[in-house]
Amino acid sequence: MVLQIKNISKNFGGISALTDVSFNINEGEIFGLIGPNGAGKTTMFNVITNVFGPTSGDILFAGETITGKKPHKITELGICRTFQNIKLFPQMTVLDNVMVGGHCRSSSGVFRSVFRTKFQKDEEKQLRQRALELLELVDLVDIMDAISENLSYGQQRRLEIARALASDPKLLLLDEPAAGMNETETESLFGLIKKVQAKGITVLIIEHDMPLVMKLCDRIVVLNFGKKLAEGTPEEIQNNQEVIEAYLGSEEDEHSA
Amino acid sequence: MILEQLINGITLGSIYAIVALGFTLVFGVLGIINMAHGEIFMFGAFIGVIMTSTLGLPIWVAFLAAIIVTAILGYMLERFALRPLRGKQGVSHLAPLISTIGVSILLENVSHHLFGAGNHPFRNAFADISFQIGSITIYLVQILIFVISILLMMALSYWLSKTKAGKALRATAENLETASLLGVNTKKIIVLTVVIASAMGGIAGILVGMAFNSVNPQMGLSMGLKGLAIIILGGMGNVKGAMAGGLILGLSETLIVAYGDSGYRDAIAFIAIIIILMLRPQGLFGQKTTEAGR
Amino acid sequence: MLGEFINPYYLQVASFILINIILGLSIYVTLSSGQLSLGSAGFMGIGAYTSALLTINFDLPIIAGIIAGALVAGILGILIGIPSLRLQGVYLAIATLGFGEVIRVFFVNWESVTKGAVGISNIPHIGREIFRMLRDSGFDPGVLGLKNNQFVFLTVFILLLIVNIFVVWFLIRQNKSRVGRAFASIKMDEKAAEAMGINITYYKVLAFTQGAVLSGFAGALYAHVMAYISPADFAYHRAVEILIFAVFGGSEVIWGAIFGAAFMTTMPEVLRFISEYRYMIYGLVLIVMMAFRPQGIIDAQVLDWFKKRKLPKRRVDHGSSNQKHL
Repeated sequence: MVLQIKNISKNFGGISALTDVSFNINEGEIFGLIGPNGAGKTTMFNVITNVFGPTSGDILFAGETITGKKPHKITELGICRTFQNIKLFPQMTVLDNVMVGGHCRSSSGVFRSVFRTKFQKDEEKQLRQRALELLELVDLVDIMDAISENLSYGQQRRLEIARALASDPKLLLLDEPAAGMNETETESLFGLIKKVQAKGITVLIIEHDMPLVMKLCDRIVVLNFGKKLAEGTPEEIQNNQEVIEAYLGSEEDEHSA
Repeated sequence: MILEQLINGITLGSIYAIVALGFTLVFGVLGIINMAHGEIFMFGAFIGVIMTSTLGLPIWVAFLAAIIVTAILGYMLERFALRPLRGKQGVSHLAPLISTIGVSILLENVSHHLFGAGNHPFRNAFADISFQIGSITIYLVQILIFVISILLMMALSYWLSKTKAGKALRATAENLETASLLGVNTKKIIVLTVVIASAMGGIAGILVGMAFNSVNPQMGLSMGLKGLAIIILGGMGNVKGAMAGGLILGLSETLIVAYGDSGYRDAIAFIAIIIILMLRPQGLFGQKTTEAGR
Repeated sequence: MLGEFINPYYLQVASFILINIILGLSIYVTLSSGQLSLGSAGFMGIGAYTSALLTINFDLPIIAGIIAGALVAGILGILIGIPSLRLQGVYLAIATLGFGEVIRVFFVNWESVTKGAVGISNIPHIGREIFRMLRDSGFDPGVLGLKNNQFVFLTVFILLLIVNIFVVWFLIRQNKSRVGRAFASIKMDEKAAEAMGINITYYKVLAFTQGAVLSGFAGALYAHVMAYISPADFAYHRAVEILIFAVFGGSEVIWGAIFGAAFMTTMPEVLRFISEYRYMIYGLVLIVMMAFRPQGIIDAQVLDWFKKRKLPKRRVDHGSSNQKHL
């Protein structure tokens, strides 16, 4: 088991964003986290990466408790994410954004960087090489010198994924990567995520695009009002009466939005 | 003796409280720290000097003149240093701070050229009138300062909570967009806020003149930083906190001068700023906001 | 003869420019990680007083004093920088301003050590010391066609120039590296940087401390160039002056700080008549810059324009060749 979510609850003042949620993710899976808006999905991501800690409960990553560990440490351990609202480094180039992703896999400090030791030069070369490979993977290598805030929405989303992959994660957290994408882009995204899985990376994905979710995911957890509603394979979820009721009406709104 | 020191402390504290109120009003409504507030206060004090010492006019004229001049300064501050920054895309939240630093330096230098450096005596007709209660001497000036401060604070509190304009100001402070959507003329309120805050600074300036019988151009910076210390102590945007903080600072400073090393008096405020921000970024009375710390 | 070209007055102004460049860079460095520190004047004072007192009271060689000054400032920078992490934007600026004032008040009041408001005079002067050393080993500046004082000023200038070149080189190298990328990412989006595995505590304190070291270094240099310091040299006015170098010249790029320091130091000399109103102009500059061009005169676009005109051969192996944020 790569990730174990154990009885996670999160309260904000009087509001329960998550209540006693538990599930496990197996290595190599593409695991879907779905639910109507406000169900607590991004909150779960934030708890996993310790943007804030849970009110109660634990999270284990590869058997080790990571609850309460500093966010950058969690990334070092092998979990990396993208953001629902896209948080690229706006004035940095495409290439630099991805190279920043590789920060925790490199170690040159001030001295080595200023005096350009052999170690540092090799490391920079490697970082750059790796970044270029990832940009090829997401098909952005042609615009590697473009300033990232000038990219189109779909390009920015792909860039965020490349940046997250640069940290060499064992577990990749994707927060609505298909949002705002058209059919062609969504198809590409599907292929990309499959490629990521083929590299042995486990994927946890929040998504509203149901066809994509059902096609992509090995297993799915459904959240509603912060509580776990159902867990299972895509077929099981699609036939789950409670899930259908929770989504009734809201799924149509998703697609027309 | 200690009672007299307490009275001194309360007198000083109430002046500080008024200055702090000016800061807190502007922060509450505009969300910015007005670094020029101290200089506006100092300007008010100097207007008082001109009115009383140079022109020999009674003190109430000094008050009026200071209020008018500082209100105008406040208006110009808002119009030329703050308004251009509002509604601009991608303006960092540091820009208004830097802009008001610019105004503070400008005002300080202008006053330097207008009024000259060094101490200027502040004459007022009743400086020597005092009362004896038991073994304690209380000066009329101290009573006046205290009374005026209290009245000002009460008037402000009343105005904020009971009048339409005051409520509009509070609404704007809570949420500018919503207030504007609900029909509040936020632009007017913003101008009004800065003008009132500056006028209060002017009043405080006269009070300081009355309390110490002299003013000097360095007062501006010193008061500015102390005002900052107070609102950080009391919580940014918190009216009661500003009043309480002002009194606390006034008392601490007086006691340190009386019983400790007076040279370090000014350092108290600054050390307080640093320590409080480190321990409790939202101040003693403040609400935790995302801006107040991580 | 050389002596005809060297005007001690110009050299002195140039030396001030060089010291101010280091100060401007000290604000730039902390700003490059997203932190505005107004404490440069305080750290400058610490560097100056530390070096002055050590060289006068303990006969330390000037260079040791300067290094000590920079180090003490740096240590204080770490001590202030760590708790300051909790403060965002405006609050950090104010806390550092308060810090600068506390330092100044201590300088004024700790009379037994610092001689209070009177200040410390007869601080060993770098130029004169070097001159003395060379003269003792038989050198006569007349050989170069220089009068004694010309030589002294020239020595100071050359020394400061070398120091400047080193500092600028250091910062440029640091910017185009993993460290520079970390700073920039923290500045642009702290939460995202943290999520990408960057230890923001470490890097923010690092940037803050580098700023403190630079300010302290500049302060120590100042002490040994002016030969006299007093608490008034490191007051609020100084902090604002340093702020202007960055705000006017350009707060986002190294060349901005350099340009700002050079311009602001030269202007009062060139336009003598405005020197009386210099702080009024500073105030206006701040107000106007914030309203019309908050990033300062020199920003990435201006630099690009310069680069395009020169068609340089760029080595592309350090990060992207299009680094707008540097």
